[in-house]
Amino acid sequence: MKQWIVTLMLSASAASAGQSSPSAASMPSFSPVTWERLLHASDEPHNWLMYSGTLDSQRFSRLTTVSKDNVSKLELKWAYQIPEIDRAETVPLVVDGVMFITESPSNVVAVDARTGGLYWRYDHELPDDLRICCGRNNRGVAILGDTLFMSTLDAHLVAIDARTGSVRWDIEVADYTKGYSKTAAPLVVKDLVVTGIAGGEYGIRGFLDAYHADSGERVWRLHTIPGPEHPDNKTWAGDSWRTGGAPTWITGAYDPDLNLIYWGTGNPGPDWNGEVRLGDNLYSDSALAVNADSGELQWYFQFTPWDVHDWDAIQVPILTDMNLSGQSRKVMMWANRNGFYYTLDRVTGEFLVGTPFALQTWAQGLDEKGRPIREPGKLPTTDGNVVSPSVGGATNWWSAAYSPETELFYVNAFDGEQEFFIREQEYREGEQFTGGGAQNVEPNDKYKSAVRALDPRDGALRWEFPIQPRSTSGLLATAGGLVFGGSVDGYFYALDAATGEELWHIALGSRVHAAPLTYAVDGEQYVTIAAGNVVFTFGLD
Amino acid sequence: MFSLMSVGAATSGLAQDNPYDTTVDIRMGARLFQAECGRCHGLDGKGNDETGAPDLTNGSFRSASTDAGLFNVIRDGISGTTMVGISWAPDNRVWQVVAYVRSLNPQTGDYDLAGDADSGARLFRGKGECVTCHIVNGAGGRLGPDLSTIGNRRDPEELRIDLMDPNETVEPRWWTVKVVRADGSVITGSRMSEDTFTVRVMDDAENLWHFVKSDLRSLERVETSPMPSASDGLSASEIDDLVAYLFSLRKES
Ligand code: HEC
Ligand code: HEC
Repeated sequence: MKQWIVTLMLSASAASAGQSSPSAASMPSFSPVTWERLLHASDEPHNWLMYSGTLDSQRFSRLTTVSKDNVSKLELKWAYQIPEIDRAETVPLVVDGVMFITESPSNVVAVDARTGGLYWRYDHELPDDLRICCGRNNRGVAILGDTLFMSTLDAHLVAIDARTGSVRWDIEVADYTKGYSKTAAPLVVKDLVVTGIAGGEYGIRGFLDAYHADSGERVWRLHTIPGPEHPDNKTWAGDSWRTGGAPTWITGAYDPDLNLIYWGTGNPGPDWNGEVRLGDNLYSDSALAVNADSGELQWYFQFTPWDVHDWDAIQVPILTDMNLSGQSRKVMMWANRNGFYYTLDRVTGEFLVGTPFALQTWAQGLDEKGRPIREPGKLPTTDGNVVSPSVGGATNWWSAAYSPETELFYVNAFDGEQEFFIREQEYREGEQFTGGGAQNVEPNDKYKSAVRALDPRDGALRWEFPIQPRSTSGLLATAGGLVFGGSVDGYFYALDAATGEELWHIALGSRVHAAPLTYAVDGEQYVTIAAGNVVFTFGLD
Repeated sequence: MFSLMSVGAATSGLAQDNPYDTTVDIRMGARLFQAECGRCHGLDGKGNDETGAPDLTNGSFRSASTDAGLFNVIRDGISGTTMVGISWAPDNRVWQVVAYVRSLNPQTGDYDLAGDADSGARLFRGKGECVTCHIVNGAGGRLGPDLSTIGNRRDPEELRIDLMDPNETVEPRWWTVKVVRADGSVITGSRMSEDTFTVRVMDDAENLWHFVKSDLRSLERVETSPMPSASDGLSASEIDDLVAYLFSLRKES
């Protein structure tokens, strides 16, 4: 009798669901994400197929349903609570109505993108003696075919079946006991999974790797610090290159015509004691252009030679083509942690534009090659020396965005300062190797912070939207004329992409430390952001 | 039962006092602290609002009360926060960090103070008029910070600066704002918190207000302290007495 009632209720609800959403049948079910699809990801704006949306990393969506006219009507559709309480830095992927969310420490779930309902979960087993400088974070997965690729805190790369969460393969990229870890979403290029490494505070030697998507076999490794056989190794005093850091802990971009992968590198180690590693310390704090097939370095551009302030060039390279002084150029746009904005020629690495976009006191400017002209007396000292930007930077790893419609580059900027210290420190394997530190001079509320819109032709500021006290969130631009972002005071907001005027905001109650994304299912556009340890999804009525 | 006993035996070392707390241990602990912890807690251990890492110099901790508890926090971290711990380090090195963190808290015995705490207490409630703005042990005004355990947070030198030069450091919580509403009415008071879109204020009559910034005609902020300097009107020996009193205001241990 009971059995019969249950059956009846189920079929009744199935029937009504079928009636209320006639378009459900027209929705293509999850289908394999081929390389062709990834190449043309901007043609399927209802999906979010990789960390930065598209291979050029613009974080620009062509969706227009949510626009300047109706964004003020956005409302919460669903929330997904990550069970492990930590600061979520995840950018979920969305493929044909299925969302993949990575969680702290190194887990991933697949949920329905309309409701947040769970399909499956994968929990990665971790050792309990991890070496991680900055929290148990993961920023997202990559997908090829029906396999996801995820970095883990024990420095593994794991391939996971996107339909069930089963492990296809799981390989050790580096030995975590030596200070290596992995937090960033990999980038798929053709049949390769390209992935970086973290550990710049532990005296590692950084690298960028490519693995066969099918087998997990390593195809190439590019050391971000060249060995003694290479002339650039001489930019490190003595043996300091062995423990010189230069990690690769954020995701890069790819240009299919040039077959070049672009990737940023982090600080040289030890972070603050440059005395023990005199020289430019190549290729720390640089943009690298890497041949996708061979892993060979095509060119590099070093933003901060001999960095002593921990200003990683761990930003996502953003690619576009633009007219510059009457010439069509393939460029790369980059707002750096060191306080300068750069436009580079991405074919050759030539420096085209460079100008401060936030408060900086360490350089008089950039020379004609883009190399900083240092202000004397700005190095860390035993008693402390106040310099702008702060350790956290004028910006950091949180994604910038570019709109081909407004032709503006959007970045979260911070006009902070900190007192930098130098300390003598011996390297010990698996322990932090930083050679100093930094601390606040004034509370953060004293400093200015803003979303800034820059013209990449000359780096000029077009508008700014002030944030109190500051933001560590990524940005998203849309063809609806909008820029979305968050802030540490727990807001999620939408700005007019042309003017910076605020059009909508909502208090989410905890720090936004992730980047927003947008997608559509059944013609309904959604906007998603992680705040605190919750993933929130908004839509129109 | 048996297994419980054996677990107890294996970790019984934790129940005892810190076995590594000589001055040499403290120095070793300081070195490890600067390398592993300073990035978040500050090289001086005073915390950092950027990383959310708390001040460790107060002598009291939210997540531990004993040395053994502190040992566990420092070794294992605090699950669900960026506080990760140093579980890879051998026990003696973790104990050395515990000893160093303990040494950051000024102890009453470390100072030979000129002032008299009882006279300081009388000044605080009487001539000094401190009690009009400060709560101590549940009684007093609300226009300044609660001072019931100020002795755990500030050493005598810092307290002297707090009294003589209130503008030396003013936490954003104690800034003053002047709000002009759309109808022209004005409210001034202490800035309880402010974010991108809103601000909350306690006015001089201790009323609580919430404002949406875009509704206001203007919002001004004054970053100096509303507290008068104690050197206007109090003698040097009276200030010594107040310092002695304030330093005695501690959490009972
Ligand atoms: C990545 C940043 C980070 C590092 C590195 C770090 N901490 Fe912490 N620590 C925190 C944060 C954040 C908290 C607050 C956690 C919470 O919300 O409970 C904390 C809390 C603590 C607490 C508890 C405070 C209380 O009131 O309960 C102690 C003790 C502590 N840390 C000691 C250390 C020591 C010693 C080290 C070095 C071995 C260290 N921490 C390294 C971020 C850090
Ligand atoms: C008009 C109100 C007012 C009066 C009167 C006043 N204070 Fe304050 N006091 C404040 C405020 C507001 C602050 C916080 C801002 C700052 O640091 O100056 C403060 C800060 C302090 C601090 C530092 C507290 C901390 O958390 O660091 C001490 C100590 C202190 N006062 C002691 C005194 C003493 C002793 C007197 C009497 C001689 C006194 N105050 C009179 C308003 C007042």
